[in-house]
Amino acid sequence: MNIAGICALAVVTAVVSLTLKKYNGEISLMLCIAGCIFIFLSLLSSFTTLYDTVNKILSNAGINVTYITVLLKAIGICFVTEFACDCCKDAGQTALANNVSLAGKVMVIITAIPLYNEILNTVLSLTGGAV
Amino acid sequence: MDVDMIFKIAAVGIIVAILNQLLVRSGREEQAMLTTLAGLIVVLTMIVTQISTLFSTIKTLFGL
Repeated sequence: MNIAGICALAVVTAVVSLTLKKYNGEISLMLCIAGCIFIFLSLLSSFTTLYDTVNKILSNAGINVTYITVLLKAIGICFVTEFACDCCKDAGQTALANNVSLAGKVMVIITAIPLYNEILNTVLSLTGGAV
Repeated sequence: MDVDMIFKIAAVGIIVAILNQLLVRSGREEQAMLTTLAGLIVVLTMIVTQISTLFSTIKTLFGL
């Protein structure tokens, strides 16, 4: 789906959701979530081409593939967390949204810990083992 | 997923809202509440499969 279609869909969904909100708040929220999911899914299908290109460039440059895997995982965690966080905020649950956001941050750090280890090992090898 | 899904949900919402108003005006509050609940469940079943599709797609794409 092109960007014009996504924008039009978002505006139409917002207007219908606003109309419904007065009479039927729950279904209005569901409508918003459905619109979000549709836009997200149509984006993800175009994300694969980006992923392939980045992978090709990195393999040509001779960079270790584990780094890009960690980066990709972090991006995925960020996407999912952001989605859940915004849905919770739309439902008016700010505390839940903040907790989900915190969980996302912790998960990203846990995913990136092997990279920290790598940096530490490199520094240690440069200094010859002396700290 | 199709764009029709979004319009379907909007249609269900509008119909349920109208039915709810009608039933409330005619003094049948319990039936109005049950209608709202039924509409909510119908839309929820539609949404839940889509949410699971989205999350499984992200899971496979990013290798989580």
